[in-house]
Amino acid sequence: MRGKSEKIWSDVDWTIVLIYLILVSLGVSNIYSAVYNPENPGLFNLQTEHGKQIMWIGVSMFLGLIIMFLDGSLIRQASFWIYGVIILMLVVVLFMPAINGAHSWFAIGSFGIQPSELGKLGVALALSAHLANSPPAKTRMSPSISLSYLTHLFRVNWKTLVILGIPAILVLLQPDAGTFIIFTSFILVLYREGHAGNALLFLVIAIIIAVITLIVADTTFMLPFLKIKMGGKVGIVIALLIMALIFLLLIRYVVLKRNRPPLYRALIGSLIVAILFVNFIEWGYSTFLDDHQKTRIDLVLGKIEDPDGEGYNINRAKAAIGSGGFSGKGYQQATLANAHQKHVPMQSTDFIFCTWSEERGFIGSFFLVLLYTILLIKIVSVAERQRSTYTRIYAYCVAGIFFYHFMINVGMAIGLAPVIGIPLPLFSYGGSQVLAFSLLLFILIKLDSERKIVLQ
Amino acid sequence: MKNIDNRKYIIALIFTLIPLIFIVRLFYMQVVDDKWKERAAQISENKVITYPARGIVYDRNNTKLIANEVYYDIEVIPNQTENPDSVTLAGLLGISLEEYTEQMNKARHHSKIKSSVIVKQMPPDEFAMIAPDMYKFPGFYEVERTLRVYPKPIAPHVLGYMSEVDSGDIKRDSWYRSGDMIGKSGIEKSYEKVLRGKKGVKYYLQDAVGRETGRYEGGEYDTLAEQGDNIYISLDAELQEYGERLMHNKRGSIVAIEPSSGEILAMISSPSYDPNLLVGRRLGQNFGKLQQDTLIPLYNRAAQAKYLPGSTFKLLMALIAMQERVIDSTATFACDKSLVGCHNHPTARGVSDGVKMSCNPYFYQVTRRIIQQGKHKSHFKDAAVGLDIWADYLYSFGLHKGLKTDLPAVESGFIPNTDFYNNHFPSESNPYGEFRWAFSTIYSNAIGQGEVLLTSLELANVAAIMANRGWFYYPHFIREIEGGTVPDVYKTRQHTKVDPEKFSPVIDGMWRVVHEPGGTARRARVDSLDICGKTGTAENFKIYNGKRYQLKDHSIFIAFAPRDNPKIAISVYIENSGFGGTWAAPIASLMIEKYINGDVKDKRKEDRILEADLMPIEIMNYKKNR
Repeated sequence: MRGKSEKIWSDVDWTIVLIYLILVSLGVSNIYSAVYNPENPGLFNLQTEHGKQIMWIGVSMFLGLIIMFLDGSLIRQASFWIYGVIILMLVVVLFMPAINGAHSWFAIGSFGIQPSELGKLGVALALSAHLANSPPAKTRMSPSISLSYLTHLFRVNWKTLVILGIPAILVLLQPDAGTFIIFTSFILVLYREGHAGNALLFLVIAIIIAVITLIVADTTFMLPFLKIKMGGKVGIVIALLIMALIFLLLIRYVVLKRNRPPLYRALIGSLIVAILFVNFIEWGYSTFLDDHQKTRIDLVLGKIEDPDGEGYNINRAKAAIGSGGFSGKGYQQATLANAHQKHVPMQSTDFIFCTWSEERGFIGSFFLVLLYTILLIKIVSVAERQRSTYTRIYAYCVAGIFFYHFMINVGMAIGLAPVIGIPLPLFSYGGSQVLAFSLLLFILIKLDSERKIVLQ
Repeated sequence: MKNIDNRKYIIALIFTLIPLIFIVRLFYMQVVDDKWKERAAQISENKVITYPARGIVYDRNNTKLIANEVYYDIEVIPNQTENPDSVTLAGLLGISLEEYTEQMNKARHHSKIKSSVIVKQMPPDEFAMIAPDMYKFPGFYEVERTLRVYPKPIAPHVLGYMSEVDSGDIKRDSWYRSGDMIGKSGIEKSYEKVLRGKKGVKYYLQDAVGRETGRYEGGEYDTLAEQGDNIYISLDAELQEYGERLMHNKRGSIVAIEPSSGEILAMISSPSYDPNLLVGRRLGQNFGKLQQDTLIPLYNRAAQAKYLPGSTFKLLMALIAMQERVIDSTATFACDKSLVGCHNHPTARGVSDGVKMSCNPYFYQVTRRIIQQGKHKSHFKDAAVGLDIWADYLYSFGLHKGLKTDLPAVESGFIPNTDFYNNHFPSESNPYGEFRWAFSTIYSNAIGQGEVLLTSLELANVAAIMANRGWFYYPHFIREIEGGTVPDVYKTRQHTKVDPEKFSPVIDGMWRVVHEPGGTARRARVDSLDICGKTGTAENFKIYNGKRYQLKDHSIFIAFAPRDNPKIAISVYIENSGFGGTWAAPIASLMIEKYINGDVKDKRKEDRILEADLMPIEIMNYKKNR
């Protein structure tokens, strides 16, 4: 018989632990470089950002250690309780004084905590608990464009929607659009669990249509051959109609006659949805989005270029990254992305990737991207080796959240995504995110380490 | 379910595809595309140019002619100011409230974080008065600039002036940036590249609001500004100053050359001005005034005015005729006043006599023999050939073709040739035409009255050629360039087509002009200096409203001294003042005496010149009305 403490550590996935340690230590050194102030050089100085980061990492690892000594079943049973506490925090925080125009912070002295970061953890736990107890998604209707199918979908999924929806709306009320978007990462989990149907495919198609719509919406062009001037939106609709016609002809001549009617229905349904969607995108864009949000989207789409005005952030960020070259300018040698020069705004939080890439060059940025990729793939493989549904779903939640943060943060720094203020997990400066992502990972490690004894 | 299990591959694919896109994009941004590196440099680096002090200009005796003086620009960084009281500050800076407001608005418009000039070029004494109060106005501070200063207020036409570069200057030479200063005339322009020195560059790192935060790469790419080379010019400041005093209230010019080197000792153009008027911010105030002045003081008469040479031209006629062997030194011609007017004098027996008495018919005859050599039966063809021979001789004296001197904007005089009378004279539309003219048509040139024109510089160079007996260096100012060499063109002797021995009778005549009774320039005599000279008196007229008005003659004198081993050659041209012997000759002699002896003995002669007001009547009237 092995001792209890031996059991705790024997099945821990040390790869994830190692990646975690590399990420947080590179993060601290990078923050140190970004905010280095010769008048205040101490590494452990709690007045500095790197000092605070170290403190938060310490707190996180201490909590992680506690988690390791807990029983996995305790976490599973406490899921909804944790969720409830965090929802409460999200409600209370709305009554806190606004910082930078958002009610996102519990401030304690010079320290602050953002419950929205923990919100992701709460949702991940609650969603895992909920989905693990739901019947497996095999007795489902085949997808079709019918009201009965839609009501069926709603009846099966309404609890999921509620679990996701409450914190999402509370976060939106702060307002914190960035974290709100992160909640859509759970669509990956639903997809994997067979709940979201072909939602992922539709999501990709929808994003493509949306991007095209936004690019051409306010342009006009001449129709070839016919001298008719038309708006971009009309053009898209015509393009969709032509595509529908092509599919119609394909169905007409390729598919067996008895199989045709449902395909015809699907085609017509899709066409109507697509055309409505085009109009909805344009309407939503001009109705719901603030001017600065529109500008951020237009910048990524390349519709506007304003290096010293609206495009200032992204222009400076790209210049910092691009100027790093192949091997970088060297540690503490950044001339754009550091706290001294301040060319790149928020260089220790949202744009931390710039400091890293400017100082470490392509070698460094490649390494960091690779590190996150390895972590993501590792979490997927961890998920897939679970016999416990709860743990598998939870692992996919963690993967999705990490992936979204990584994709949007790096994507925005290199100009492939609109500027959305969310941190690079475990790497950016920020106590709440370090705490939240550490807990996400430690809980995963704990649950995973019990994979051989937990069946449920 | 199997197909749901497959979804893990889709997810893994997404998790690798997005990072792959990022890596490709990063590789492109960081390694392939240089656009962002350039953009980063533009954002984070600031290139600051440091200006060198300009080279100093000394005269031949190491007296400073052009030096540098420190001035102060008052600059402001708008967002560092703390709501200064505009009235107090404007008063302190010595500008009006309106100007202060305007400058501040301009500065704010330019940049809130970078400095703009509020007051330009405050003299050191003015700055010293306000300096103790400057600390009360944060955001305002002084920047040292150097400006030219002329310790002696002389020779503005030679030294030139400086002003800000214009777009043409920048286009011609990318060395200049908007706001830089450049020599616009005179020595400042000719030796601009020597005097300007090397600009220094400092690369700073700047932060997002444009403040300097450090040196780029520890200053590795910085260069220091290097002061421009000092130069020594041939001017004799004392002589120049003396000449300008003599020329006070006279219109005309003096050019003095050291014959053995071609160095210009003095170049005086009168009326003149104080070169300090055209320095820095005074330039703007004074340039227009000087430009509108009816006395046109900006005009360099010595190098640009084309004058009739009058009788001084006769020297050249005698030399050419002897070289062409159409006369010898003993040639005698009667003073036949039916050919051309003359004064009463004994018959000139020989070239020396002709020069001494300046007999017009004598040189009519001499020149006729050059032009009409009888090589062609046709009188007209003969004249055409003869005139071109004559002109070629004159070209070899540096006339018409341009003296390669080191002043910008130097004009050449004019020597007519066959082509000119065939095709351009008396008017472009109705010229004489080929073989339609002969010596009888153009004889006035023989006595320097026709179409020939010389500048004072050319006249002085003729005097230098007489002194050297047949050769000259191009007249020039440069003597020494610290860290450079004087161009070879000023070290190469130019030879005229007249042999040295032909000069003796002419020089003998020039000596007698000054020293013998019956000579035309007795006033030029200075004991022991052996001045050799030749007077000239140029008739001239002006046309007002289609009517021709005879004006008072120009008084001309060219000379050199001493007769052997000459030290100075000079031309003096006093417009509309009378006979050559009356004014120009004594002025020349004073200059020569001053240069050789360092002082003038005959104070009466000096005072007569100093007190004379020879401003032409037209200008006198203008002055009265003013």
